[in-house]
Amino acid sequence: MSAYLDGRPGRGAYAFALAIVAVPLALALFGPLFAGAPDPRATSFTLGGGHWLGTDFVGRDVWRQILLGGRPVVLTALAATALAYLVALPIGLTAALTHRGRLEELLIRPLDILLAVPSLLLILLVATVFTPGAAGLAPLVALANIPDAARLVRAAAAEAASRPAVEAMRLQGETWWRMGVGYVGRSILRTLAADAGIRLTGVLYLVATAAFLGVGVAPDAADWAVMVDRNRTGLFVQPWAVVVPALLIVALTTGSNLLFDAALDDGGRAERKNGRAERKNGRTERKKGKWT
Amino acid sequence: MRPLRSWLARRLLLGAAQTVAVVLLVFALTEALPGDAAVALAGDEPDPARVAAIRETMELDRPATARLLDWAAGLAHGDLGTSLVSRRPVSAYVADGFGPTLLLASLTVLLLVPAGVGLGVLAARHRGRLADRAISTVTLGVYAVPEFALGVLLVTVFALRLGWLPPTAVGYGTDLLGHPAALVLPVLVLLSRPVCSLARMVRAGMIEALASPYAAQARRYGIPGARIRYAHALPNAVAPAAQHLARTVDWLLCGVIVVEALFVIPGLGTVLMNAVAERDVPVVQGLAVVFGVITVVLNIGADLVTRGFAPRGEVTA
Amino acid sequence: MDVNAVAEIKDLRVEIDGRAVVDNVSLSVAPGRITALVGPSGSGKTTTGLALLGEYPPGARVTGDVRVAEGLVGYVPQHPAAVLNPARRIGALLHDIARRQVRHPRRSERRAEARERVLAALAQAQLPDAEALLHRYPHQLSGGQQQRVVLAQALLLGARVVVADEPTTGQDALTKRRVVERLSAVAERGIAVVLLSHDLDVVRALADEVVVMRAGRVVESAPAERMWTAPAHPWTRTLLAARPTTPPSTPPGDVPRDKRQAGEATPGPGTPGLRVRGLAARHGATTVLRTAGLTVRSGTCLAVVGRSGSGKTTLARCLAGLHRDHDGEVLLDDSPLPRSLRSRTREQLAAVQYVFQDARAAFDEHRPVLDQVARTASRLRGAAPATARAEAEATLNGLGLAPDLVRRLPGQLSGGELQRAALARALLARPRVLVCDEVTSGLDPITRRDILDRLIALPRDHTDLALILITHDLDAAALATRIAVLEAGELIEQGPAHQVLTTPSHPFTADLTRAWSALT
Repeated sequence: MSAYLDGRPGRGAYAFALAIVAVPLALALFGPLFAGAPDPRATSFTLGGGHWLGTDFVGRDVWRQILLGGRPVVLTALAATALAYLVALPIGLTAALTHRGRLEELLIRPLDILLAVPSLLLILLVATVFTPGAAGLAPLVALANIPDAARLVRAAAAEAASRPAVEAMRLQGETWWRMGVGYVGRSILRTLAADAGIRLTGVLYLVATAAFLGVGVAPDAADWAVMVDRNRTGLFVQPWAVVVPALLIVALTTGSNLLFDAALDDGGRAERKNGRAERKNGRTERKKGKWT
Repeated sequence: MRPLRSWLARRLLLGAAQTVAVVLLVFALTEALPGDAAVALAGDEPDPARVAAIRETMELDRPATARLLDWAAGLAHGDLGTSLVSRRPVSAYVADGFGPTLLLASLTVLLLVPAGVGLGVLAARHRGRLADRAISTVTLGVYAVPEFALGVLLVTVFALRLGWLPPTAVGYGTDLLGHPAALVLPVLVLLSRPVCSLARMVRAGMIEALASPYAAQARRYGIPGARIRYAHALPNAVAPAAQHLARTVDWLLCGVIVVEALFVIPGLGTVLMNAVAERDVPVVQGLAVVFGVITVVLNIGADLVTRGFAPRGEVTA
Repeated sequence: MDVNAVAEIKDLRVEIDGRAVVDNVSLSVAPGRITALVGPSGSGKTTTGLALLGEYPPGARVTGDVRVAEGLVGYVPQHPAAVLNPARRIGALLHDIARRQVRHPRRSERRAEARERVLAALAQAQLPDAEALLHRYPHQLSGGQQQRVVLAQALLLGARVVVADEPTTGQDALTKRRVVERLSAVAERGIAVVLLSHDLDVVRALADEVVVMRAGRVVESAPAERMWTAPAHPWTRTLLAARPTTPPSTPPGDVPRDKRQAGEATPGPGTPGLRVRGLAARHGATTVLRTAGLTVRSGTCLAVVGRSGSGKTTLARCLAGLHRDHDGEVLLDDSPLPRSLRSRTREQLAAVQYVFQDARAAFDEHRPVLDQVARTASRLRGAAPATARAEAEATLNGLGLAPDLVRRLPGQLSGGELQRAALARALLARPRVLVCDEVTSGLDPITRRDILDRLIALPRDHTDLALILITHDLDAAALATRIAVLEAGELIEQGPAHQVLTTPSHPFTADLTRAWSALT
């Protein structure tokens, strides 16, 4: 896998990614502090007239909407990622560490099936029935991510749990806690960290796309994705109300993906330096019993 | 090597189980509606006549198991149910939207493979140099961008500023092939994410294969570079990428919904979004089943392709 | 210099980060002769061998001359599968080389001629049924066939020199014998063979010239007969002595007895120890091992030998409770042990201990070795943490591991050191049965000798201990009290060690011992 990430200087990649992600992230985190009180509504889709970026489809100040509209995207994505792991971790770890085949099947099979449903479709389906509010979008996006996350946790943990180190601990009569958390948990930490980065970008994508399609948001919400959707009708008159939030979403997703990749690259490099990478050949036939 | 037939049988069985599960899941979700489903679906100010109509169409008075069996039996015969809003059969909706969506999807897949593999091979050949760094950074960056954001920016530049292409497909109806200019931006947007991921997979696979002991042995024995690249390394690089294509199916379906909404193309995605907006449950259910089955079938196809490329039979059912 | 030489290395020096991994190495190989480079890992023999191929480690600074006739060198790696492209059929792999040799104006003629050359090369490499083979993928071939295909590639290339890198490491005596035959057949064709190996048996059987290397330098270089009879350098003598040839009957007086064991009332030698009754182990639905009955008495050592895939590791894992998918019983002092580790009591866990083949993988890389070893005493014998650490340190020191070494993380210890630490971890449980699964494979001869000597001394010093050595190495098995032979999942023969080795009753054992004595 190392070949996946080589060829780019680490420092430069970090700086580049940070430069891209800094603006949308700062706006999302601190924007609401500077938004101030709402102005009285002006005419829809105007330029100038005391409004730096003009007005939107209902005559609100676009700049103020921008200041307010990043936070829901970022917070929902973070909450959804955390929630997905909150469910996926216990499922994946239990499935990997149990020696009862039935329990493993019971935990993993339903997820296999859920995987067959495209994530956006799943979200739309649930949305039709329940009309989730702003708080409902995070659990929905999390739900779409649980199958994949749980499978990843299980695969990583099962690999760690099948190593001779764990069998040696069993022969020593070690406690479950030391084996399951102290060793297996610690061994999968790096995989999880790498996955969390990738998953967060995927979640950002889903959150923004769902909001653009009107799922889990009010039709006039201060949200960058909603702004792109609602102000599209005025694209020819007042492009800023669409272009600025769209650019911010692009910068946020691109930047965070570049940033996580640079971090992953660094981690991989550190690991190679410690010489751990050479060790992979030792684990041989051991897995069979559990896997087939 | 595991015998192909038994592998195929197990893979098809899994596909069938997934199909059944999708049907059950779709049905269960509507059952989970709180309170009286008919009242819940009728909107904010339930009109008694509408509630009654919904109750009648969905046969809510009958027990759930009977309705499920009827619905499933109908699905098996191609009867997807009846719309709550228009009283038209759901299959008619599917028939309407199928053409444009199929056109978009097939154009995308047709361009996806050469573009993705080409970019990946190009980057791997110039590994570490400018071309590689440019391709790697751009594919990594664009890969995460939601289609709608990229789409409106492209529309702003190419339709609004430069005026080269129409901003939407409004007015062309389902006859998109007659207006190829209207297809350029939608297909471009639809391609953006899968191309990036495919290119990255191929690049990584090529670099790994070129660094492998078997490539070293081939070089040692004087086999020309081009032959090592395309005959020795590429098949090994494409195998994991082909498997990855299965996941691309998911993205494509998501992408189709967004792109149709963005460019106002009357395909299945638009039908679905309209039904979601009107809470027309039978239409949503029917489309969900159609999308689900397509995903299952395409996944099986992708697994078959992967198996063809990876004779070691690493793909498990 | 030498007019006959097909390849020559003069004053080769390879530096990585300012450190010389190979220094002042000169070498010349003649056609049809086999030159062996021997030495422990890190001695620079692989770097020297790869220099003949014009390949060096990345970032290396190279000085000196390497000259090869016509520049054609074949390469046979330790794992032949690694150099065979998994996605290409054997036919395609060989045609790629053959088509470069053929210069015929017409395309169809070129094809036909290339095909003829491929078939000829396969025949020369002793691969019958070539037609069928051409359509197979590398993974559908046995290890031996893969190695022969790699040799066929070298023959097809017209190589004047073939470099074979550890071609027998980790193989059983029969397979080794075949590798030896294959390589001498190559030499008989007038090709110079450069053999990189730390397997002295194979070197003895094959080499015409021996070059002994240590720490990147040539220690001694001589014709084979002279090297075996009159080694000039003390290091060479150490290396050659590192073959376990001591019979197990040496009086145990020279090894200090373990004080802890001395006072305890323990069952003496001859008590039943461990017994296996009607064992049938499965992987999934297939039964991979059948053992009707097998007994290891306390104070003795049983060697379980067999080729890879014969089921010997599965047997070991069944005994230790690591493989629970089996029928039949494993009895310790006539009481059955639960099949799974999870159902064994502390005493039962302590009684049967297991040492893994890959010592590095058997340690948690995040915790110091001493901490991990000490857990045996605290978990299985309820020792207080401080006592457990003291005991662990004493046992580790007794096995020759210095106090500062055992406080490091496993990553900072060598393979041999970790294997001794793993042994200490198992011994700390004061086991009644110790199962060692190929614990010396992958170690250099001197370390292997050291660990084997320590293992063989165990049942002599602890008369309540039964030692089970799982091995493919008949040299090691010769040290045991009894030998059991497994082939294709069946226990085909068992008996006293010398009897099995000298007068085997089963034809397979006879093959195995014949190959072994031919190599010794």
